[in-house]
Amino acid sequence: MLQHKINELLTQTGPGTPMGALFRQYWLPALLAEELPENDSSPVRVKLLSERLIAFRDSEGRYGLIDEFCAHRGVSLWFGRNEESGLRCTYHGWKYDVTGQCVEVPSEPDERQSSLCRKIKLKSYPLVKVGDVLWAYLGDPATTPDLPEWEFARVPADQTYTSKRWQECNWLQALEGGIDSSHVSWLHSGGLKSDPLFKGAQGNKYNLADKKPFFEVVEGDGGLFIGARRTAEDGHYYWRITPWVLPNFTMIPPRGDHPIHGHFWVPIDDENCWVFSFDYHAARPLKAEELQAMKDGHGVHNEYVPGTFRPLQNKDNDYLMDREAQRRGDTYSGVKGIAMQDASLQESMGPIVDRTKEKLVSTDSGIIMARQKLLKAVDALRDGGVRPPGVDTEHHKVRSASVVLPADQPFIDSSREALTVRPGMPHASV
Amino acid sequence: MIMQRQPTLLNGCAMAATAAEARFRIDHPEPKARNSRIIALDEHAAAIVRRLGHQQWRGGHFLVFDDAVLAGGGNGLAADATLRASDGSVVLLSDELDGADVVVVIATAQASATAASIIGDACALRRIMSAGLVVTGAAPVDDAVSALRPNAMVLLVLADENDIPPILTALRV
Repeated sequence: MLQHKINELLTQTGPGTPMGALFRQYWLPALLAEELPENDSSPVRVKLLSERLIAFRDSEGRYGLIDEFCAHRGVSLWFGRNEESGLRCTYHGWKYDVTGQCVEVPSEPDERQSSLCRKIKLKSYPLVKVGDVLWAYLGDPATTPDLPEWEFARVPADQTYTSKRWQECNWLQALEGGIDSSHVSWLHSGGLKSDPLFKGAQGNKYNLADKKPFFEVVEGDGGLFIGARRTAEDGHYYWRITPWVLPNFTMIPPRGDHPIHGHFWVPIDDENCWVFSFDYHAARPLKAEELQAMKDGHGVHNEYVPGTFRPLQNKDNDYLMDREAQRRGDTYSGVKGIAMQDASLQESMGPIVDRTKEKLVSTDSGIIMARQKLLKAVDALRDGGVRPPGVDTEHHKVRSASVVLPADQPFIDSSREALTVRPGMPHASV
Repeated sequence: MIMQRQPTLLNGCAMAATAAEARFRIDHPEPKARNSRIIALDEHAAAIVRRLGHQQWRGGHFLVFDDAVLAGGGNGLAADATLRASDGSVVLLSDELDGADVVVVIATAQASATAASIIGDACALRRIMSAGLVVTGAAPVDDAVSALRPNAMVLLVLADENDIPPILTALRV
């Protein structure tokens, strides 16, 4: 359980909030690069950390992320014209560059243009492309961190795939699903047998045979490593090790030679988040059938309402619940797909779950520790200006792993190399 | 074939997961404290447990492992243990576990495998939820972690003793 005030602190990320200040220390996934596919392409509305913004790519290929609303009369710049190195409001023609600087007020006399424009600047944030993702930094420019070094964003383009989906709940309950390994043997048990991006791995049999894993949680420089162990053969344990890096990055332990996957859980506002879901292989290009399976919504991805990032299965249609599939055991919950099995349950908790009423058990210790680390990072930043874990790009160089180890070996020591990025080397997986 | 009806009202479908509909959730009281036992396995851990015992808790007994003893008849254990309570009295592990909901074992590098095993076996036999917290220090804690691994459903390796109170609070000690 959590005190009400702590629940509010952890779940509120708007401007001026302590957790919002923490999030504003990091480069965050803001859009998929494909959303701004070419110079002068259509602008895109973006809401991040409860701030309404507009993203665009100008005639020189520069990315901009600026206040959505024109300084003149508050019109949304989504209606603007993206042309000749700027975004022009279609109401009276005011034009802004990628830094938010007003560069034209055509209604005013030419001789007053430069002096007037100089005084008009919309709030703007840097937006950069790394991998398939456009990353935004909403914090103090003086403390802009180095660009992200997450392996999924740094491998060659043909080795990685990222999707995103809207999830209709607070970021924290979505994240907590990402570090809760104990639900996998239940909620996703059907997927272990049938999903093309999961099935066939040797490790799946351990998952399905031992539904009561034991857990070890060990602190890392950037966050936590959560090890779930199940019984394997001859005095060995099968370990699935999930890294969490502050504040919102998780990776799922791999299965066989399947691509490795993970998530960023990005607050849109306090009742909605973006889930950026990635798959990559560190040592080889994705196979055509793997890529197709991802695009078809398998693994950690999902199908969409056409033309949107809203999942096809959503709360308006009861997530296309299939009771017959539930009864047959094709899926454990009756909801199709790993991603939507998680999202359907997390959204059912309500937009912001009341954690004063929860009844945590010892196997929830990963969640308990993650909250504690977030709180400590918030306090250290607020009280001492301490840069939080996960900003340093060395903290990005983590991997998840699945390994079989002798029973007496600590997973963190035996798997240290497996849990660290080794460019070009395959991930440790069973 | 069972006839499926489509939902008629908002609260009959997943759209009820709104803030407005949340006010109709059953307003059950906040959960009560669990009947908890916090047991130090070694002398360094005992100092931690003594400090914890001075804080405000809703319940819970703060104890220190004392010695292994032969089990009395009838409790199903091969071995029992004596524990020191915060008032200096000595109690039997088997007596303390009667009615306990959760046992949290706290250890440092000095923790003994015997102590971990006796408490772990006792919890497993009685199906009591258990957790092990290993606080790191100057000495390596690998042996302590290995000793606790078979004996606790979850193990947390902590660099900071101050992380323990929030964990105990979350577990409703």
